[in-house]
Amino acid sequence: MNDSARVLVAHQLHKRFKAQEALRGLSLGVAPGELYGLVGPDGAGKTTALRIMAGVMGPDEGYARIAGKDPLSGDPAVRSMLGYMPQQYSLYGDLSVDENLAFFGKMFCLDKATFSAQRERLLHITRLGRFGDRRADALSGGMYKKLALACSLLPKPRVLLLDEPTNGVDPVSRRELWALLFELVEDGMAVVVSTAYMDEAERCHRVGLLHRGQLLMEGAPTRLMAEHGNAATFEDLFLAAVREAA
Amino acid sequence: MRYFIRTVQAVVRKELRQTFRDKRMAAILFIAPVLQLTLLGFAVDMDVDNVPTLVVDQDRSPASRDLLARMLADATFARTQEGDDPDGPMARGEVSVAVVVPRGYSEDVKKGRPAEIQVLIDGTDPVRAQSAMAGVLEFLTQESLHMATARAVAMAQASGRAVEVPMISVVPRVFYNPSLKSPIYMVPGVAAVVLLVVTTVVTAMSIAREKELGTIEQLLVTPMRPVALLLGKIIPFALLGLIAGGLVIAVGTHVFDVPVRGSVLALFLGMLLYLMSTLGTGVFISTVANNQQQAILGSFFFIMPAILLSGFMSPVENMPEWIQLISRLDPARYFVQILRAVLLKGAGVEDLAGPLLALLTFGVGILALGTLRFRKRVA
Repeated sequence: MNDSARVLVAHQLHKRFKAQEALRGLSLGVAPGELYGLVGPDGAGKTTALRIMAGVMGPDEGYARIAGKDPLSGDPAVRSMLGYMPQQYSLYGDLSVDENLAFFGKMFCLDKATFSAQRERLLHITRLGRFGDRRADALSGGMYKKLALACSLLPKPRVLLLDEPTNGVDPVSRRELWALLFELVEDGMAVVVSTAYMDEAERCHRVGLLHRGQLLMEGAPTRLMAEHGNAATFEDLFLAAVREAA
Repeated sequence: MRYFIRTVQAVVRKELRQTFRDKRMAAILFIAPVLQLTLLGFAVDMDVDNVPTLVVDQDRSPASRDLLARMLADATFARTQEGDDPDGPMARGEVSVAVVVPRGYSEDVKKGRPAEIQVLIDGTDPVRAQSAMAGVLEFLTQESLHMATARAVAMAQASGRAVEVPMISVVPRVFYNPSLKSPIYMVPGVAAVVLLVVTTVVTAMSIAREKELGTIEQLLVTPMRPVALLLGKIIPFALLGLIAGGLVIAVGTHVFDVPVRGSVLALFLGMLLYLMSTLGTGVFISTVANNQQQAILGSFFFIMPAILLSGFMSPVENMPEWIQLISRLDPARYFVQILRAVLLKGAGVEDLAGPLLALLTFGVGILALGTLRFRKRVA
């Protein structure tokens, strides 16, 4: 796939925090309608990679592009193409579900008609419709994540970056969240999910195995399994690759 | 531009909603200032009266009883004890002044010899001690003068000559606070302090909370500009600060009889510029702090010296030169000056150009610095 087909591109990203080298030349590209899993142990650099791609932080070297544009530029056009859900996604706990959505709707510069259409759609697909008046800090873990996802989906982004979205979420909500991601991908969104769960990684179209700031391998889960025939499960494959690199 | 204004509006509305939903925050903003002003206004009373006084009358004559009775007739001193030994009660803090009339006092007076009266004063609190000393001295000087005059008149009459006693009569007139009540002097200072505490802490905490919770990262991926977020944070607290400030002045005039003699415009202009400084300081502190605790600590790091150097307790002119120089960087100093001038002296905008300009400079400076740091930190 050439770069023009990719709506999200990261090229040779380097990032250093004092003595710690978080990213060492990470490159990846994601096409519209593709679900990309960024897999790796804690401290591999997943969050740093996502933060740079979201334009929350700049890289020391390399660049990220969203539909050819620099997410760091602050250009409202790029920001509106981008949905980003940090691991510690925080909503305003003292505001209700509706108030949170309305506030972020205004931050994303949605006009009234677009906002109410989006609100209806997102409350429907996240099944949060009944909880409009409930304060965000009174929601369960799974519902809270879904509301967070709904907020980041408000501007109808073309690229969605999710940092460990199912961390601390019960199995039922986890399944619902993944079903939701597949719907979004089917609609043509490019989605990057970082995760430490191997069963989730296997559901992605492509995965990149990140270890100490570098991709150890990348490709469709089935193809990776076939290439490394001696691994019984995806988890074994992952552990073997990490052990080899260490 | 339209989008910018809409985001500012949205942040303002969100802040107000959160502030009033959080009952503690609303209490900090409105109840605390009034309560603090009332308490401080009553507590910080520098008037010296009812000084507990021990009387040691060793003479036990009509003359000594008469002298002591007249001395204690004024409310400055209150006879709380009588005894022989002044040391014990003073060491225990039971009395602050002891007046000893020695044996032979009336004899001395009758014969026209110099009479001695011993006055012991507890100097632990210098302000109180000085006032008490001045009170005693004034009374006894007057008393000596009366005795001397009476004696001169009596002697003249005895020798059949006319009497002429030269005297200077002093007619003092006190301006602005004629009854010399200390609340009238203190309340404007307390108002400045209360506004400083409330607005700086609340602003710093409100921005630090977004950092602590991580909501700020969420806002940064929206097309919103950091300056819009700052404005949205400052505007509601400036408004609430103005209301709290008005409330404090109202309590001052109704409870403590503080007059409003000058221009209300100057008062609110001064308050607005002062709030710019305190809110700007709050923003600046929030760029250094990562969470609400650090924001509170950081605020008090600024607030304590700002209060001490503001001249609300003791005049800035009495401080050493180098401290006076530092106090020029203290917005509270200018606001205390403006408040006292407007409330007590009837000053208008034109009389206060200096301090108003100083506040404007500090306000614009600290807001610009805070904004720059904020943009740099979040971008």
